[in-house]
Amino acid sequence: MFSLNNHLELRRVTISSLLTCIYLPSIVTVISYKGLLYSVGNASSIYILVLIFLAELMKSFYLNSSNEFQVKKKNKNRASEVIKSVVFFFGVVFCFFVAIILFGAPVLENHDGTLMLSCLLTLLTIFPLIAHAGVESAMQLLFGVKNFSRDTIIAMLVNNALMTICGAWLGAVVIPLDWNTPWQQWPIPCYLGAIGGYLLSNVLTVTKVTLMSASNKYPALNFFVNVINRLHISK
Amino acid sequence: MRDKWNFILYLVWFSYLIISAVLMFGQGFLLSRKTLSDVSECVPLKGFGCDGHENSSVKTQCTEDDKIRRILSNSGSPMICAPKKNKVVLILVDALRYDFTEYDESNASPLYYQNRLPVIRRMVEKWPNRARVFRFMADPPTTTLQRVKALVTGSLPTFIDISSNFAAMEIQEDNVIDQIVKQGNKAVLLGDDTWARLMPGRWHRSHALYSFHTWDLDTVDNEVDSKIYDELKKSDWDILLAHYLGVDHAGHRYGPNHPEMARKLKETNDRLEKFLGILAPDVLLYVIGDHGMTETGDHGGESKAERTAALFAYSGSGFAGDESDRQIGREVQQTDLAATISAALGRPPPAPSLGNLLLPVLPNMPVTHTLLHLSNNLKQVAQYLVRYGEESQQISLERLAQLINATRTQIDLAAGVESEAELKIYTTEVRNLMDKVRGAFREVWVEFDSLSMLRALLLLLLAIFFNWIITEGIPIERIPHVFASTFVPSGLVSMAVCIGVCYTAYYFEILEHLEHSIILSTGLVSGAITCVLVIMHWDGITQRWSEGRSQFYERFARSALFASAAVLVSNSYIIEEGATLSYLALTVLGLLAWNVGTMKSLLLWAGFGVVMVLTRSYRGCREEQGDCWTAGEGNSTGNASRAALVLALGSVAAVIAIARRHVEWRGYGVVIAGIFACAHWAVGWGSLGSPSRSRMLARGAWLVIIAMFVLLWRKDGRGATMPLVVSGLLFYLANALVLGAAFAPTAGLALLSGFIALNIVPLLKTEGSTKFSLTMRCSSSLACLWALLASYHFYGTGHHATLSHVRWAAVFHAGDPNYTSFGTPISVALMFIYLFGMPLMFGATVPLLALWGRNGAASLGPRTQLAAVFSLCLKFALCFAVRVYACALSATIHCRHLMIWGVFTPKLLFEVGSCTAALLGVLIGATLTVWHIPNQVRSS
Repeated sequence: MFSLNNHLELRRVTISSLLTCIYLPSIVTVISYKGLLYSVGNASSIYILVLIFLAELMKSFYLNSSNEFQVKKKNKNRASEVIKSVVFFFGVVFCFFVAIILFGAPVLENHDGTLMLSCLLTLLTIFPLIAHAGVESAMQLLFGVKNFSRDTIIAMLVNNALMTICGAWLGAVVIPLDWNTPWQQWPIPCYLGAIGGYLLSNVLTVTKVTLMSASNKYPALNFFVNVINRLHISK
Repeated sequence: MRDKWNFILYLVWFSYLIISAVLMFGQGFLLSRKTLSDVSECVPLKGFGCDGHENSSVKTQCTEDDKIRRILSNSGSPMICAPKKNKVVLILVDALRYDFTEYDESNASPLYYQNRLPVIRRMVEKWPNRARVFRFMADPPTTTLQRVKALVTGSLPTFIDISSNFAAMEIQEDNVIDQIVKQGNKAVLLGDDTWARLMPGRWHRSHALYSFHTWDLDTVDNEVDSKIYDELKKSDWDILLAHYLGVDHAGHRYGPNHPEMARKLKETNDRLEKFLGILAPDVLLYVIGDHGMTETGDHGGESKAERTAALFAYSGSGFAGDESDRQIGREVQQTDLAATISAALGRPPPAPSLGNLLLPVLPNMPVTHTLLHLSNNLKQVAQYLVRYGEESQQISLERLAQLINATRTQIDLAAGVESEAELKIYTTEVRNLMDKVRGAFREVWVEFDSLSMLRALLLLLLAIFFNWIITEGIPIERIPHVFASTFVPSGLVSMAVCIGVCYTAYYFEILEHLEHSIILSTGLVSGAITCVLVIMHWDGITQRWSEGRSQFYERFARSALFASAAVLVSNSYIIEEGATLSYLALTVLGLLAWNVGTMKSLLLWAGFGVVMVLTRSYRGCREEQGDCWTAGEGNSTGNASRAALVLALGSVAAVIAIARRHVEWRGYGVVIAGIFACAHWAVGWGSLGSPSRSRMLARGAWLVIIAMFVLLWRKDGRGATMPLVVSGLLFYLANALVLGAAFAPTAGLALLSGFIALNIVPLLKTEGSTKFSLTMRCSSSLACLWALLASYHFYGTGHHATLSHVRWAAVFHAGDPNYTSFGTPISVALMFIYLFGMPLMFGATVPLLALWGRNGAASLGPRTQLAAVFSLCLKFALCFAVRVYACALSATIHCRHLMIWGVFTPKLLFEVGSCTAALLGVLIGATLTVWHIPNQVRSS
């Protein structure tokens, strides 16, 4: 059913998704047990972002690990690549920052909350793409210039990114409600929504791969695979 | 191309279906109370003989007591004018909450509204017989107008009182003042002009002052003070009414807990001390609040703080009632005041009154006189029950009969009451009965006509559903054929037949409700006809739907519109609707831009977002938005600051400067109208301005706008795009004019946002070729986006869906139209543009969505153009119909909700207004397009 290369990639996709399914919930659980869940909008919660950054970095190392061919190529101008990535990263953070304000975040106050959210969004969406494919391909993927095939690492990353954005978008739904709960404070719902969307995307990936391998034995499961494939928003 | 008018006729037909169904819904939902024109009459005691009958032949002499007893034992006797009467001074201190009157010595650090009226407590303690202070419970809605109505009629005014004359503000019912004046007594009014407007021509002398300058704490009070002491010394009046506004205005401006409130209450205290010093002993003094206020100083709702006003009564000669009656802070109803004042002046209660006498604030009377008043009260209520039962089926006959019987029994019992102790028991029984009657009416006046509401919802659903299938299902290539056929004429003919049949049936008295049956039958018939159309084209519909899924952005836009309608069932989303709509519109446009995928489109999107952010600062807030409201952003005065004036002038100048070059000769008109508008603001600004010249300039601007609008219909054979653009600009200018200088930039921002959205549309990728793609340019995503924008800019121009938020200044910016012969239509039109100008503007420019741009439809054949424009127009209208349907549905679901009158009903009203404006705008736009589309058909 799959080519060998595809198979390898699929395994990597699965394992990295599984890792995400483990580390993200554990971070959220720990901070909620420490009672810090509602302070994710403050600048003091930057350690969460650092944790996520490290985890994503490790994941991307894992995803890139066996592409020795690419690594060698990169080694030549690694420094400039890193600088470019950093600049691109902050550019994207700024874009997210502006876009969030356009969408209705407070213009003049609570900038740290908005900044935290935009950093998180960048970390979960663009950063894995940059780390995996490099700045230029990431840009090309963003603007839909470059196509990608189904069931590849890039497809997974793009799906994750889209689901993260959707999660953050849906998170804003609860803000206007008059329940007066602490988690309705800006930007907690969007922050948690983004994490939730990212997690859901990973869970779906894992489920899909499981079902795909199971459907070799039980062809009836193909139906569910198709359903999940439809859920993935790909252009 | 004679069939091109069929498109317009169909749109008119659709508008009729929606509006008529909404009207039907409104009749079921808003109808609450029928006002009767009955007037209470009484016969003076002299008119009765000693046997207790009118004009009796028995000529014996008897005491007054005996006579009254005889009359009471005759249960069929009419109401009797009480023989003794007092003079009444009624001081209405607007928004006097009960706890303002409390006095607590032990409170070391009183708040600004506590312990400020020591005179009341001192009087009550010094003369427990002469002074009373009660909690004076108001019924919602606790707004001054409704409260004043309730106080004088003794009834429960509802959201809308249905009367024979809907437009006039004058009270159409019997009321205390009428009762008093009819007897030849004199009434004097000082203060708030609400009274003068409600009851014009009744006053012996009146000094009424404009009451809506809520930031002016002192003018009205000082004016009243300058007159009232002289009036109190005169003796030619029987009732003196003074309405002080300072406390209410202090509450509105600063809230109760503010030094200004302390100052106003202290002034009130000093006033009361002076009154008590000069009052003659036979004069009854009532000091009342018409409603309370919340902790932020607002009122209108039904919270306890808003409902609890104060009643302080004082009489130099002492009141009736014993310990239990005079208990401080007892709860009495505001409906009781009308009956009580009438009794104090020797009149029967006004006909619609549902109150019972407040004996503890009436002077001491012999038992027979008390009985006489009580029986008057009972007779009047019994009469009202009978009459209301005749006029309206709101209360079930069974219940009504029960109440009438109970009342009649009590009337008969009156004759048997001899001693004070018996009287006390009797009074209690009467009070219980009256509470029951009042309760029955309270229930009924918030009772909805669920049958017509459900029918209306069904009709709306029918119209929306089939028209949705027509726009979404029938392939766009077939639309010209459908409208060239006999579909529209046959539909209209069958509607005419329906109306004819209904009218004939009504004429022969087979039908009872003409309007309802017409609306119902035409709605059903239209549903059937559209259903037939759908069935005839079923093959095309299935083919189009099976061809595949539409683009993601299109599906998203549709669901965004449905989401924006669906969240209207939640009060929090209605309160925050401005933010929601902006969020959704931005997302929809973002997806469109994403679909285009070029840098240009993303920049346009960002520009659109910036425009939305800029409008945010004008959005203000409503009172439910706690933090923002208390920060004072809610009270926009409408007076422009210097910066606002500069912004307004700049925005108009920028728009006309840019637009002028591109709209050819029509640009001159736009420029002239714009200059007039700018001059109007500049000349009228600040204290140095000249209001009269400013008004003249505004009239000039309107004249030019109207003239340009007429000139729009001049054919120049170059397609419809240019006239449509100019109509958009004219609507922009009209909006800017009515919004006033402070909010004029928002109209410019709205125009700009629409323009940006319009420019993204031609960039959209078409499948395969760059050629014009009809399905893409008529896609519902554009209509949904446009509808979201139109709805958003209602909020973007600083409005809110609350009745208290409406600023009436828009009517008067060009002078008071009531001095002209068409005052009412002009003011209605100005108010309509002021509130719903944005849906109107966006509705009129809907055809541009199809025609705009290099790959627009303007280069195609007229039939295709028309079909595209029509399809978009219908989709846009459908979007608003869906929103109205959601509002009506949520009003139905929440009809017992706490916030039904505060949030859901106003939202429904404003949404209906927006829908009407959108339909009107769409009609204007579509008609313009049809008018200007070249007639010759290309030979293909």
